[in-house]
Amino acid sequence: MDLQIVFLNFPYFVAIILFSMGTLIVLTQPNLVKKVIGINIMETSIFLFFIAVGNAHGGVPPIFDASAPDVFYVNPLPSVLMLTGIVVSFSVTAFALALIVKLYIYYGTISAPNFMKLK
Amino acid sequence: MDVTISKLPFYCVIIPLIASFCMPVLARWKKEFCAPLATLATAAVFVITLVIGYQVMNNGPLAYHVSGWEPPWGIEILVESLSSLMIMLISGVCLVIMVYSFVAVKFELERIITGWYYTAFLLCLSGMTGLVISNDIFNMYVLIEITGISACALVVAKGSRMATEAALKYLLLATIGSGFILFGIGFIYMITGHLNISFIAIELAEVKDTYPILIWTTLSFFVVGFGVKAALFPLHLWLPDAHSSAPSPSSALLSSLVVKVYIISFLKILFIAFGLEIFHETFIRHLIIVLAVIAMLSGSFFAFVQIELKRRLAYSTVAQIGYIFLGIGLGTPWGLAAGMLHILVHAFMKTCLFLCAGAIAYQTGRKQVNEFAGMGYKMPITMGAFTIASFSMVGIPLFGGFISKYGLALGSLEAGIPSIILVIILSGLLNATYYFPIIGQAYFSQDEHEAHGEEHGAKKFQKDQLPISMLAPIVVIALGIIYLGIFPGTALNFINQTIAMLL
Repeated sequence: MDLQIVFLNFPYFVAIILFSMGTLIVLTQPNLVKKVIGINIMETSIFLFFIAVGNAHGGVPPIFDASAPDVFYVNPLPSVLMLTGIVVSFSVTAFALALIVKLYIYYGTISAPNFMKLK
Repeated sequence: MDVTISKLPFYCVIIPLIASFCMPVLARWKKEFCAPLATLATAAVFVITLVIGYQVMNNGPLAYHVSGWEPPWGIEILVESLSSLMIMLISGVCLVIMVYSFVAVKFELERIITGWYYTAFLLCLSGMTGLVISNDIFNMYVLIEITGISACALVVAKGSRMATEAALKYLLLATIGSGFILFGIGFIYMITGHLNISFIAIELAEVKDTYPILIWTTLSFFVVGFGVKAALFPLHLWLPDAHSSAPSPSSALLSSLVVKVYIISFLKILFIAFGLEIFHETFIRHLIIVLAVIAMLSGSFFAFVQIELKRRLAYSTVAQIGYIFLGIGLGTPWGLAAGMLHILVHAFMKTCLFLCAGAIAYQTGRKQVNEFAGMGYKMPITMGAFTIASFSMVGIPLFGGFISKYGLALGSLEAGIPSIILVIILSGLLNATYYFPIIGQAYFSQDEHEAHGEEHGAKKFQKDQLPISMLAPIVVIALGIIYLGIFPGTALNFINQTIAMLL
């Protein structure tokens, strides 16, 4: 019984695990490109979480059909919100990579400990 | 007439947004038109916010439903009295900084960057005003990202190694912060099925006993997210680098406004969406008070050991953010009012100090705090403004900082934690230890390099060698600090109306 609940809700567990992994990668990896990949993993896990929130077991795609007006729909709102989220994530990635290119020109390396110091 | 007025809040987001996207094109065609157009857009927003403020004060909150969709489904913009005060503050301070950056941008940035600098500036303005007045949490997330990314762009505009490093660090940590916020929004949507704050509040009040653990989780996600964004003490690591390596008009904007708007949206989520009951039942309050107290003391300690002026100012921001969070944590009428008033006062003080730091670097090229000897004679007006702002930081009566610290002290008495007063006084004294040496040096000692040729002790006043567009903003903002110190009533009226609604 318990196992079945876990199985039904497994997207949430995956989302939380991916989120923690992404955060850990950003904070601990010395390589700047890996940090950006970590950010992407983190944000993708949030997208997964939102879509899992919107999902309903046995729901159909939310397209209105006049012949069957009261079928059980999946909630489309979280998926739509995540389109915005993907755009934001894309622009952050692009900006971060541009900054990394600039740092590479300055230092000739993309390994953070060689120049990033906590002051 | 009424329809036009209810659309006004929407215009103060859309005008800078449109203007910002005109900038790069304009910069290619006629570079000298960028600054006047950007100033015009900011001034237009400022005038609109004044009208909104007048309207809100007399007729109550303004609500606008974007493109006519009703609240539970559409995006709602709601301007209550606190938000109207904050958008007035944001656009006013932005206008002042914009005027200052006419010359400062030419001095500090490469010529090719100019157009992009104004793009980022206007985007940041648009994001901040939107963030303060939006009543929809997902819309808030989008505006948080707009503000965050354009703030990073403002830091990196300088183009130096330090600025690029700081901007990358800022970007990575800010993205973690907004990731946490988005996760929190996801949890809220899961619990309530709404994105509009007013509807979330109604729904959460009903279901809060059903999902206690989920609400704990959500709150902790929000605290971490907004804590990173607003540089609450242990999460402040990005702030000193970003604020000290940015060009000085950008650091004024970042330090005085950008970190504050996150606090205002945190306040909205905490007090309106979650409501007072959850605030008092969970231990979130104690956590915020403890972190704020640590921030107030350690921020001042870190500021004390810095040699570079702008780094010292940046660490001082960490301490002052502590004051504002303390006001939120106390959660009593006086505490909250003082915290919000401190947003206002600190925006004025920090803008003034950073603009003065920029002006001093412009005229004399000095950036270290031990090079200020005789500065009061070379730049009397700038140092006068610096002195006013520092006195206000320390909390001397007649200056704005005194009122908010006094209010915080009253608030901690109301909350029954009188020991906090000790912390406030101690932090004020620490502020004195790192601002007064600069002022003392500037007025009471002589510059050794220049003293040689002249007679001994011949200190002569000179007028500041600054263009009027740099001097005027500094003077205006310094007068603003004194005004807030003597007549805080108007601002407190605005704040208290909202707080009466919250508590």
